[in-house]
Amino acid sequence: MAEAVGKTVLVVEDDPDASDTAKIVLESEGYSVIQAASAGEGLNKARSERPDVILLDIMMPSGTEGFHFVWNLRNDPDERLHSIPIIVLTAIHDTTWVKLYPDTADPVYQPQEYLPVQAFLDKPASSEQLLKEIEQALAPKST
Amino acid sequence: MELGSRVNVELEELRERIWWLIHLRWAAVAGVLVTVWVARHIFGVQLAAAPLYGVTAILAAYNLALWAIGRRLSRVTSAPAVTSFANSQIALDLIALTLLLHFAGGIENPFVCYYVFHIVIASILLSRTATYLQASLAIALLALMAVLEATGVVQHHQLRGFVNDSLYRSPTYVLGVLFAIATMLYISAFMATSITYRLRKREAEIVHLSDALQARADDLAQAYEALRQLEGARSDYLNRVAHHLRSPLATVERMLAVIAEGRTGHIPEKSMEMLNRARVRLQEVLDLARDLLVLSRTREVRRLADRKLVDLAALARQVAGDFAQQAQSAGASLFVSAPDSAVEVLGDPASLIELLENLVSNAIKYSPNGGTVSVSLVTSDDRVVLSVADQGMGIPPAEKDRIFDEFYRATNARESGKEGTGLGLSIVKAIVEAHHGSVSVEGEPGKGSVFRVSLPGAPPK
Repeated sequence: MAEAVGKTVLVVEDDPDASDTAKIVLESEGYSVIQAASAGEGLNKARSERPDVILLDIMMPSGTEGFHFVWNLRNDPDERLHSIPIIVLTAIHDTTWVKLYPDTADPVYQPQEYLPVQAFLDKPASSEQLLKEIEQALAPKST
Repeated sequence: MELGSRVNVELEELRERIWWLIHLRWAAVAGVLVTVWVARHIFGVQLAAAPLYGVTAILAAYNLALWAIGRRLSRVTSAPAVTSFANSQIALDLIALTLLLHFAGGIENPFVCYYVFHIVIASILLSRTATYLQASLAIALLALMAVLEATGVVQHHQLRGFVNDSLYRSPTYVLGVLFAIATMLYISAFMATSITYRLRKREAEIVHLSDALQARADDLAQAYEALRQLEGARSDYLNRVAHHLRSPLATVERMLAVIAEGRTGHIPEKSMEMLNRARVRLQEVLDLARDLLVLSRTREVRRLADRKLVDLAALARQVAGDFAQQAQSAGASLFVSAPDSAVEVLGDPASLIELLENLVSNAIKYSPNGGTVSVSLVTSDDRVVLSVADQGMGIPPAEKDRIFDEFYRATNARESGKEGTGLGLSIVKAIVEAHHGSVSVEGEPGKGSVFRVSLPGAPPK
């Protein structure tokens, strides 16, 4: 894909097998991939590399690390980080069951209204789904 | 209520009745004053006013003292103490009545029958024995007064203007009156105590029943709590198991997919075949883990506050839209018939979508090529009825009750070769029940099935 050339994807995922698999898919389509295995590492790499899109596993070990990553990224002093699209991967059934903020357990119907991310994808997301979401995230926004 | 609660109840009642007596005594004080005044000034009866008012004053004084003691009564927990308090009051009243009678004509005073009031009160407050004893005390006091006056030991105060003979000195008169009063008091004691005895028995039975009922209610509450906890523990366990299964399984599926997609290099045909067969089996396990997770989540007790107004018509159309592709691939036609206006229920949007998806995907899965799947939504009174009908293989009548069981698949479904976890309909049932609704299925083998979900409509705004 021509659109992929020069675009960087940051994969924030604690499972190395899942992370490497995502890397294989993305690199085979022409994306550059940076990997991070924790929210902290993810934030650091986001600041230093400024990727074009972030792939985030929301349920890293503690269960809330993913959320903290999003909030911290969106509240970072560097404003350029505020608009990097985030695609969330979740192993919990369906986007509508995801805990959207660390404190409550309510599933909400329109998650995008609550968490400033591009999309939610159920694990295992097919390569097709993944690539499609990334394409959409990178597409120029029509205002 | 604890053990001995019956005693507590009786004691509490006794305290209340003692209070009632103390209040009644004020009325008696007023009554005596009025009677004396009316007798003297209206009927012109000659009375020894000073001693009478004196006794009345003493009556009032000791009632005040009793009132003061009575205030501390609630802190007294010894039954004998409270009973003595009651006994002493009645004895004092009997003495007061005797004194009043003595200063107003003695045995000639018609109010001599007033001893009966004290006996009735005694039967309410005291035991049978105590009542008879008080009756005996009354008769003894009356007899003593009559004898002392008749023999001239104490002065007789004649009721001039009312009784003009010296009846008090006539033995036959005195004995006659004493006999009449005595029989009256003992018979009254008998009658009144018989009634209160039965009353007390009934009260004791009620208290006993109420205790037993409370014990049952406590048992029930405990059992329910234990059940809830068990269900919660089971649900937690399922949740954790499902989650810990899903994540690594999902990773494995991604790894196999990436190989199958050729992104790691060329794969020989035989290897590819095995790989794809492995992926199919893996998908079955993934589906099972997902269904288990859904089921356990649906069964979590949900707070009423979590429920929202959901437009079921919009959801039905949305789900039908999502499954259009799948229906087409299966050669089935999918129709939705729902009102244009919102059909609202109070519920959880995610669960209701899950419900619709399960029913619709089942209908499509078991539809024959060219078959029709129709989803319809109607409102009837205050209920909303969702029906999903298909023209598939139908459900054998003998298995209709069991298809909503976990992991149960109907014989013909199993033999059809189509895969399924057997959890779909148990998920449907769990969601329906969580929304206080009901689900049923109709149809015959070979003629398709209609699944009907009935839910309470949202309350009017």
